[in-house]
Amino acid sequence: MIKLLDKPLKAFIIYSFVVLLCSIPVYFLMVDWIWVHEVKAHNQIVAESTKKHLIDLRMDDRQVGESVALWNKLQPDTKLQQVPSIRPDSTYDIYRKNKYIPIKGYDRFQGLVTYFAINGKPYSLTIESNLEESYETIAGITAITIGFFIILLLGFIKLNKRISARLWRPFYQTLEKIKAFDLNMQHQISFEPSGIIEFDEMNTSISNLVASNVAVYRHQKEFVENAAHELQTPLAIVQSKLDVLFQNQEITNEQAILIEKIQNGLSRVSRINKNLLLLAKIENQQFLEKEQIDIGEALDEVHSLLSDFEEEATLHLEVGAKVVVDANKMLVETMLTNLLMNAIRHSAHPAEIRISLFNNCLTVTNPGTAGLNSEKLFKRFSSVSKLTPGSGLGLSIVREICVRYHWNVSYVYLNQLHTFTVDFGSLSVNS
Amino acid sequence: MKILIIEDEVELASSMVTYLSSQHYLCELATDYPQALEKISNYQYDCILLDLMLPGGNGMSILKLLKAQNKEDGVIIISAKNSLEDKVSGLQIGADDYLAKPFHLPELAARIYSILRRKNFTNSNVIAQNELKIDVLSKSVTVNGIAVMLTKKELDLLLFFVGNRNRVISKSALAEHISGDLADMLDNHDFIYAHIKNLKKKLLEAGCGNYLKTLYGNGYKWEV
Repeated sequence: MIKLLDKPLKAFIIYSFVVLLCSIPVYFLMVDWIWVHEVKAHNQIVAESTKKHLIDLRMDDRQVGESVALWNKLQPDTKLQQVPSIRPDSTYDIYRKNKYIPIKGYDRFQGLVTYFAINGKPYSLTIESNLEESYETIAGITAITIGFFIILLLGFIKLNKRISARLWRPFYQTLEKIKAFDLNMQHQISFEPSGIIEFDEMNTSISNLVASNVAVYRHQKEFVENAAHELQTPLAIVQSKLDVLFQNQEITNEQAILIEKIQNGLSRVSRINKNLLLLAKIENQQFLEKEQIDIGEALDEVHSLLSDFEEEATLHLEVGAKVVVDANKMLVETMLTNLLMNAIRHSAHPAEIRISLFNNCLTVTNPGTAGLNSEKLFKRFSSVSKLTPGSGLGLSIVREICVRYHWNVSYVYLNQLHTFTVDFGSLSVNS
Repeated sequence: MKILIIEDEVELASSMVTYLSSQHYLCELATDYPQALEKISNYQYDCILLDLMLPGGNGMSILKLLKAQNKEDGVIIISAKNSLEDKVSGLQIGADDYLAKPFHLPELAARIYSILRRKNFTNSNVIAQNELKIDVLSKSVTVNGIAVMLTKKELDLLLFFVGNRNRVISKSALAEHISGDLADMLDNHDFIYAHIKNLKKKLLEAGCGNYLKTLYGNGYKWEV
């Protein structure tokens, strides 16, 4: 995966590299042509002025002979000599080994051979000018081009960084907010105007999307809470009628058993309803009061409450270092009770249940015959055992409480033991 | 003993009236807010059962009114909301107890009994029944003057039975009373047997009459 802005950057870099690469021969040809052109013109000027001055001197043949010899001695880059006939001017481009400083290797020369007549005798004048060697020109241009390419590259990267930091800041801010958004928290997302049409449009769309989601979610949760509330009264009516019916002197044994069965079913409905209500309330951000709770002490309390079930299960409680959390007392008690009751309910009796509190982790272990589906386990109404049907909400409530306080609850099945672990994390105070 | 039931759900109210009347309580019924206001300002009650959600007004303001008038009536809030805030604020304003719907009628009766005892016998709250004496304040039980050692739960059960004398109480009502929400989580209420068996044994051994009867195999009755 690459960042959005790195994509055009890559393209820009490749494009500028190609352009600069192509520019090397172009620059070379241009520079070389200018060189040659200028040196040719220079040779021409020198030749013309030399010819003119020589003719203007009006020397006789002997003087000419001496002057030519002297000239050739003093001016090594030119050559004046008598020739059989006058021909048209010619130029040449030649590499010659440096005679005086051999270390310099080959030198490049641009030459001009021109013909003229002194006192009617034909002479040739050769003028040579030292010229920059082609490979040196190419090397120079390449070096400069590479230098510029590096400057461009650094510039692109730097600019890209600055642009992405500035231009894309609203985008990243939005992204951060969306990442931090939790539907459960029921907070609306608010974006600051970025001044950029696209971003503002995106933010508005996201805000609308979130707002409608939050509203739908809230309605759903309120519906659950209201439905559970509304059910309480009819349940109370049925319950009270059963209690009244039970007082009837004339009921038979069979009828009494029937009433008890109805009673049990009704208890279950009430229980589901109560738990549903509790779950909805936790989700609806109720139970906000917090206090410092010593988990070890809370465990002791729940343990003593559960003493009625000693025949069914033996609870072994091991508490290490003190774990203190800042949470709602009722919720913590509910969580502990649900975890322990869950272990008692789903064990073959008599069961050995181990509860330990070490390293900020609470583990509850009970024997079992087969592992449970840990993905479905914490979901509502995913009652995994048909033998001991519960409300199907106990573990959902545990998870919901853990979610609220950012504790981590997990389940593993190992060595025929169900193990539930609540990790209180580093948020809890250790002393 | 006069009890005012403020409850808009007529069927629920009528069950309460039936159950409580058989306990020799005199019950009156108010099904909406104005009716409730009229009754509490005109008459004196020993105990008021107050539903918080009433047509025409909030039960909480009735409670405030009662307390503002310095009425001595005991008040039990009966609410479908089962919300902690309501419970806390209700008790703070001056309600004596809070009961969430749905509830067992024996539970209601036991709580009314307890409040009436507390109101009428502030200094020496001793329930006496023939040879049996229960001192509610010091939580001690004597049979013919000899102390009987009961566990907290056994005492709890005994008071529950006495508060529902001559009524048939189902096992689930007992389980819920003893274990509260924990009973909710168990389909098996057998643990109640053990407590009742122990209570019965201790009382009989101390020479107490056999008042606690088992009916239909799964109901209990404190017969006097």
